[in-house]
Amino acid sequence: MPVTTAVFYLLAAVTLGSACGVAFGTNILYSAFALMGTFLGVAAIFVLLGADFLGVIQLFVYVGGILVLTLFAVMLTHRIDVQVSNRAVGRLPGLVVVGVVATWMIRVARAARWTEGQPGPPAATTAGIGDAFLGTYVLPFEVASVVLLAALIGAIVVSRKEVKG
Amino acid sequence: MQELVDSLVADGFVPGGLPLWVAYLGAMLVFGGIVVFVFILPIAGITTWVERRVAGRIQSRIGPNRTGPAGFLQWLADGIKSVLKEDIVPSAADVPLFKLAPYVVMTGFVAAFVVVPFGGPLIIADLNVGILYLTAVTALVVVGILMAGWASNNKWSLLGGIRSAAQIVSYEIPAGLSILPVVMLAGTLSMQGIIGHQGWAPWTWHVFDNPFTFFAFFILFVSALAEGNRTPFDLPEAESELVMGFATEYSGLRNLLFFMAEWGNLYVIGAVVTTLFLGGWQIPLALADHPVPRIVLQFAIFFAKAYFWVFVAVWLRWTLPRIRVDQMMIMCWKYLVPIAFVNFMGTAVWMVLFPAGVPAVRVLLSLTAAGLLVAFARRVVFHVRRALLTREELSFNPLSTARVMSRG
Amino acid sequence: MSLTGFEVEIQREVDGGLTTEDMTLSMGPQHPSTHGVLRFVVRADGEVMKEAIPDIGYLHRSIEKISEKVGWHGFMPYTDRVDYVAAMFCNQGWAMAAERLASIEVPKRAEYCRIIAAEFNRIQSHLLSVGSMAMDIGAYTPFIHTVREREYINDLIEELCGARLTFNYMRIGGVAWDIPPGWREKALSFLERFEPLIDEYNALISYNKIYTERLRNVAAISAQEAIDYNLVGPNLRGSGVRYDVRRDLPYSVYPELDFDVPVGSGELGTLGDCFDRYMVRMREMKESCKILRQCLAQLPQGPVIAKVARNFKPAAGDCYVRIESARGDMGWYVVSDGTAFPHRCKIRTGSFAAMSIIQKVSRNLMIADLIAVIASFDLVAPEIDR
Repeated sequence: MPVTTAVFYLLAAVTLGSACGVAFGTNILYSAFALMGTFLGVAAIFVLLGADFLGVIQLFVYVGGILVLTLFAVMLTHRIDVQVSNRAVGRLPGLVVVGVVATWMIRVARAARWTEGQPGPPAATTAGIGDAFLGTYVLPFEVASVVLLAALIGAIVVSRKEVKG
Repeated sequence: MQELVDSLVADGFVPGGLPLWVAYLGAMLVFGGIVVFVFILPIAGITTWVERRVAGRIQSRIGPNRTGPAGFLQWLADGIKSVLKEDIVPSAADVPLFKLAPYVVMTGFVAAFVVVPFGGPLIIADLNVGILYLTAVTALVVVGILMAGWASNNKWSLLGGIRSAAQIVSYEIPAGLSILPVVMLAGTLSMQGIIGHQGWAPWTWHVFDNPFTFFAFFILFVSALAEGNRTPFDLPEAESELVMGFATEYSGLRNLLFFMAEWGNLYVIGAVVTTLFLGGWQIPLALADHPVPRIVLQFAIFFAKAYFWVFVAVWLRWTLPRIRVDQMMIMCWKYLVPIAFVNFMGTAVWMVLFPAGVPAVRVLLSLTAAGLLVAFARRVVFHVRRALLTREELSFNPLSTARVMSRG
Repeated sequence: MSLTGFEVEIQREVDGGLTTEDMTLSMGPQHPSTHGVLRFVVRADGEVMKEAIPDIGYLHRSIEKISEKVGWHGFMPYTDRVDYVAAMFCNQGWAMAAERLASIEVPKRAEYCRIIAAEFNRIQSHLLSVGSMAMDIGAYTPFIHTVREREYINDLIEELCGARLTFNYMRIGGVAWDIPPGWREKALSFLERFEPLIDEYNALISYNKIYTERLRNVAAISAQEAIDYNLVGPNLRGSGVRYDVRRDLPYSVYPELDFDVPVGSGELGTLGDCFDRYMVRMREMKESCKILRQCLAQLPQGPVIAKVARNFKPAAGDCYVRIESARGDMGWYVVSDGTAFPHRCKIRTGSFAAMSIIQKVSRNLMIADLIAVIASFDLVAPEIDR
């Protein structure tokens, strides 16, 4: 087995293992920290695929932003409520959803035409991504940023009440 | 790194038949190990000694001077002491997270060294997303600090953790916006590429490229201090307010790891500003022809520049009070972020207007900086002279000058 | 949730559909910036305090009760422990109370010795106060610089009475020891060095931008409020009330001396904020230097202690003595029943009065501001509880 394959399986195991921790953990804080393992594993897989920019951005946005915000929210709530907080709700519907999604994903994976190639030295992808964003895909990019802005303003409106008097 | 291995392979130092990637991997591991044990740990330790000696002079006292020459081995003694101390885990703490937190912080800090250049070809891995990677792995430190703050099950720790996370996340934005002008100028994210874009002479450095980068440099340094929890932004461990912040409940080795990360981070701050703005390890090519003295010289110049900023950070710490948490946020969002954004846009406009740069502006800015330095030196000359006094002169006693009754 | 002595309920508040909950923090008794063993129960919403409730009594040593058991002379060492940062004033208060009850005339030289010692002690106490205030705000260096000068005063006082902190220098009827030979020159040489240093402290820290931003407009107390809450000393003068026992109800030889009473002017923000209280102490040190120079120049010859019987019995009656301690108007109410033991002694201290206003001024401040407020009131824990 080539080294890259071994590394891939190792990373996949880390990712899936921590994902299971997120899903099955009963302590919401442990789930949040397990999420870090998932994010790191995904970032590492990106790097393994030669998409180092994407990998670092994954680290930057998910670990540095989303995970920290999640932890922040959890920590500001009361401690006693946290110990057993990640309860399982609706096992049966969950199983059905998982079954449907899994079947669908396996079908997609089997139908896809996978290109296999030797991993080369990581090439600089940053410039390409930037060009794509501001060239070919400029419209979706701008629409996405407007949607995000709307979400941001919406969050402020929802969470902050107007100061009375 | 790669070129060094290539030259070693070409010279026959690597056994034939070994695949090239094994040689690369081996070289990276060996160099990484050397960097961790021979550079990072001692540099963090020695910085504590430097900090205490400098603090001593600033506070008109002597500082540690018993262990080794001028107390130089104090950091080792402290380290050994910390390792031997009992590792107390509070019974109400969240034990696994409490034990894990210092290692997460340490990982984030050591991982940053992967892309920190040392001089010439010496760098563990010259990633082509170098500086982005460096800002991304700092996130691990935040997670570790939050973990520590939460797991300690202490309200002061929690407050410290929350302050720290809010602070680091906020100050990442002005820091990132101040890195962008340099990235635009150099056209690359790679640390070596950014250094390669500058020259040895001050007027070729990015900091003097245009007025916007000049300000971006200071914003980056201030934001980096905030991200490293240094005075005047040491709110997360503000002793007089939060006892010791997120590290309150830690003792022994775990406490040491937090502080090693903090002091080691100072060097990372210095190395980053040196790489991005101050010409990195560039030396006049004519100075050394042979690779070995050249690399040594490059290492020395880089280290000197980076450590100067460590010294400035220490200096600031023992000079300035601490700002309040709301003032810290106001400073970030109302001042640094808009200014950094103006710098970013300004640099872009500058690059469009003057694609080749304006040498006159570069020289002018370098002269301004030199002038500022001289003016500053004139202001502090009294204090510097006082810092250089001998022990006898320092321990001047107005009571004994009355020369009436010697106190022995 | 039960906290000793306090029942602070966790307050749940519904704010725009979101239920929020306050955090109850117990600051102290072991906390780096509570200057001894103070305790505050802080109800905070994040970093903003709803209120800080002071909790006192951790340093109560029944000093007032002890006075009833140890006799008039024997109580003198205990008075040192009332306020160990400024023990001379406690000595003086007790001595003056006993002298008034027993109608003892104190020799002129003794009065001067007392004022010299007391004013040195005032500088010493203010140095510690402004230094530790800077340290509480996060600047470590000014503390070391002020403590360096404080050390010289300690040396001077040690030479005078043999002790560096709990002096036990004064006696009923005078002082224990005359000024030693050469001491006057040393004191003058110290003042020579110290007076310019006050300006250096101002340059070092007082007008530092971060420092002033931390202090100005924080916990501003109006003059009326300060009087209502019975604040005394620099805390009262910081609010612009020009009241100083040394000037308004003069005792000892203060009427013969020329000095100013600095008051806060709201120079950087609201009148009576933390910065004003801080600056009043800075300026008072200068005034103390002025007093010291006059005293050292005018020092008359003569005995330093009146003849007082070992087991004297003052006439039955009571008296209230007020002196201006480093922490303000210090009152000694002493009742004598005509025996060799005081019947009752009650000490009124400045820190205790300042403690009462903290709950009011701390509302809606940040947690970090509470530290500045505690430091600006110059609270000394033993003086609160006694």
